[in-house]
Amino acid sequence: MKAYLYLAIAMILAPLFPGFILKTKAFFGGRKGPPLLIKYYTLIKLLKKGSVYSQSTTLLFKLGPVVSLATAIMALLFLPMAGQPAILSFHGDIILVLYLLGLGRFFTITAAMDTASPFEGMGAAREAYFPILCEAALFMVLILLYLLNGKLSLTAHFAGTTPMALWETAGAPLLFAIFALFIVMLTEGSRVPVDDPATHLELTMIHEVMILDHSGPDLALIELGSFFKLLFYAALIAPLACPVSLAHPAATAGVFLGVLALIYVVIGVIESVMARLRMDRVPMFILTSFALAFFAAIISLEFVV
Amino acid sequence: MSQFFAALGIILVGGVFPLLAGRQMKVIKATGAIGIAAGCLLGVIHAINAVWGGGVHTASYRYLHIFELSFRLDGFAAFFLVAIFSICLLAALYSYHYMDDEDRPRRTASHYLLFALLTISMALVVTANNMLAFAFAWEIMSLSSFFLVLYNHEEEANRRAGLLYLVFSQVGAMFLFTAFGVVFAHTGSFSFEGFATLPDNTKLLVFCLAFVGLGSKAGVFPLHFWLPHAHPAAPSHISAVMSGVMIKVGVYGIVRLYLLLDFSSLVPGYILLIAGILSGVIGVVYALGQHDLKRLLAYSSVENVGIILMGFGLGMIGAATGHSTMAMLGFTGGLLHVLNHALFKSLLFMGAGMVLHKTHCRRLDQLGGLLKTMKVTGTTFVIGAVAIAGLPPFNGFVSELLVYLGAFQGLTQSRDLLLLSLLAIVSLAVIGGLALACFTRVLGVAFQGEPRTEAAAKASESGTTMLLPMIVLAGFCLVIGVTPDLFIRMARGAVISGGLVEAPLAWGHSWNLANQITRGAAIFIGLIAVLWLLRTLLYRGKTVTRAGTWGCGFTQPSPKMQYTGSSYADDILAFFKNIAPKRVDHPPIEGRFPAPTHYRSEVDDLAEQKIEPMVLRPVHWIFEKLRWIQHGDIHLYIGYILLTIVVLLFFI
Repeated sequence: MKAYLYLAIAMILAPLFPGFILKTKAFFGGRKGPPLLIKYYTLIKLLKKGSVYSQSTTLLFKLGPVVSLATAIMALLFLPMAGQPAILSFHGDIILVLYLLGLGRFFTITAAMDTASPFEGMGAAREAYFPILCEAALFMVLILLYLLNGKLSLTAHFAGTTPMALWETAGAPLLFAIFALFIVMLTEGSRVPVDDPATHLELTMIHEVMILDHSGPDLALIELGSFFKLLFYAALIAPLACPVSLAHPAATAGVFLGVLALIYVVIGVIESVMARLRMDRVPMFILTSFALAFFAAIISLEFVV
Repeated sequence: MSQFFAALGIILVGGVFPLLAGRQMKVIKATGAIGIAAGCLLGVIHAINAVWGGGVHTASYRYLHIFELSFRLDGFAAFFLVAIFSICLLAALYSYHYMDDEDRPRRTASHYLLFALLTISMALVVTANNMLAFAFAWEIMSLSSFFLVLYNHEEEANRRAGLLYLVFSQVGAMFLFTAFGVVFAHTGSFSFEGFATLPDNTKLLVFCLAFVGLGSKAGVFPLHFWLPHAHPAAPSHISAVMSGVMIKVGVYGIVRLYLLLDFSSLVPGYILLIAGILSGVIGVVYALGQHDLKRLLAYSSVENVGIILMGFGLGMIGAATGHSTMAMLGFTGGLLHVLNHALFKSLLFMGAGMVLHKTHCRRLDQLGGLLKTMKVTGTTFVIGAVAIAGLPPFNGFVSELLVYLGAFQGLTQSRDLLLLSLLAIVSLAVIGGLALACFTRVLGVAFQGEPRTEAAAKASESGTTMLLPMIVLAGFCLVIGVTPDLFIRMARGAVISGGLVEAPLAWGHSWNLANQITRGAAIFIGLIAVLWLLRTLLYRGKTVTRAGTWGCGFTQPSPKMQYTGSSYADDILAFFKNIAPKRVDHPPIEGRFPAPTHYRSEVDDLAEQKIEPMVLRPVHWIFEKLRWIQHGDIHLYIGYILLTIVVLLFFI
């Protein structure tokens, strides 16, 4: 029951967290910034609107937002939060989650290609490219976690009696894993230095350019999906970085939310102090995460065998 | 077994009858398609029973009074038969509306005979139980498919493809028969029983020799490059059969040989795993670089054979190290992927066939917007694309998940195995991502957006017998993906019945896997339904209009401005430039009044490039040196014959 409650809270709070990023960026820019609840206002505004569809599009264009949101929700169903076991879990569930997110990507790309727009095709090509490297890095992290506890499910890693912890036996490799996951999160969440959600030049965008032709409730579904996806990755990092388990579950949940907020603030700091990378530099940046996870796996052999 | 041979008999009748039908095109097509389909239906029912029954059936016949051809049907062979018969059944149906060469009835009729022979020979290869039967069926399979590749022999490219295929299959067969010869030298019999008694080193030699022969048929890198030439040249339903099942017959041969040799060493597992990783990654990279729809699909077959070999390789390593869970997962995953790939690859080839049939165009960058005019083809193609990218809730995911789980089991075995398993997992992840890129590219360029040419704009779909097989295949892709329990158990039964894994209970964590996948898929589909409903509610009473695509202020868009397939793949291919070198033909724009220019890019196949300097030239050099034997003097030739007879008299 508690897992359902947590899921509901997470889904309700998901649009709040990106507000922290905006606030952080505003702070660095010396501005007041938009209100924390800005994303809720945006969602409500979009939901009230109608839509204009391109004449080139087919049903796939309308299916894109629905599938990408559905896959993001599926990912949250498998996600253990604040040390609580997830609603769904089995041996190998994490592979299913990653492939479901892949399915979401498939339909986001097909929705973009449906418009016959060269810009969206460009974005789609990038969206198809970078996550390949991310997946390699993510599977490397999975290998690391599997080497450490012989399990292959999110709940087994992050909930229950023996969750992964930074100060347990294999802290050093886990530190690498946290960095690797952070890079993956920045890529998958379309953040600086891979992608800039605030940019206004179509040629330099990835995620934003793919959804140029979406409007109204469709766009709201996409936005919501991307909030959930970002939350999913942040919630993978949070228990690794701060595996606190207090006596009272509410206190644990509070700490968990605090760590999540902190991760979003860090994203905001990165966006404020870094420029986005040139497009051909991005693969190297992502491969850094793969290399980190690979080293972590090799180092962790010392701890397990 | 009598039912099995009855099925083959009906298929043969279906192949012969069209030849007698004269110039009646309808009769030719109807008898051919119905005959082959009916035989395949009977065969597939028998094969499914054999997989579930788990028993072993044998039969043997004398041939020319001295040779014995013996056949054996166990669960493992039966599983392949299910794939062979079901795909050939649908391909036969598909052929009815696809074959429309009204002015060439004899060619159509002989095509049905060759198609029937191909089906029969594939079924015989997987049931063969001695070397003679295997070699006999193998050669018929190679030759009948060779003639099918030459179906449109007026085009020079097809003749070249046919020649390349013939050379590959005959050289491959030579390696295979050499392996058989080595065995015969040791055991003195054509029987398959003697394989297990060979000394260990000889076993390895036999395996490696036969692996070259069988692997070239299966399309294993670097012996794969006949495949993207030959498969597209044949009529589309034959491409579906060749890519969907014929290459699996090669895989079957490899695994059957492994079973017969009864290995205790790790080497064959390593060979298969490494060959699988190479074929998988390189196959999909090349697929991404193709401009021709059918060639792309053929390269993607190389990739999927890679995944299958990875599964079998992991299984063999698990079996050799006594880790039965890993063995079970690897073998089951590999075997299930055989069926899955047969389903979605045939589906995609049939879709490509429909496109080719209606637009007479195979180049991706000349198509576009087909989803709007070819509703059924487009929709089933989308399903096939999602399935082949290994995404849930479709069938490709299930088998890939099993292979993943098998590889994860290998991580904790030993240090050197850790490295290989790690490599396997990461390559599977990369293959998954690349396949997604590859098939979103096909969909996006050929089926979505706006038509780039007149032919693509005017395309429409027709032909019930062409549409029906695609719908059936797409349905199976979804069914296996959502309720994999039955099919996993079927593959598992086949693995146990074939004797690949001894302990039938070795299943570890994965007992519940199928149910979990079903539950996940059900929740997911439910979620989509709910969200779709929500979306409909949100749009109620709102103004929804249609307008042109947002062109960022540009008001004169044309279909030519769309992102092309080449641009889509360019960044990824640049990343893999070492294994997929790009050749660009682009005269630079120069001067004040520049001449018209063009841009053409082609991705070269490394194996195809290197075979010339590394294999062909040395071989040519050797034969150049031996040329003096062939001088054209008839007296000396007679002398050779005498000499041979004398030498033989001495030694025998």
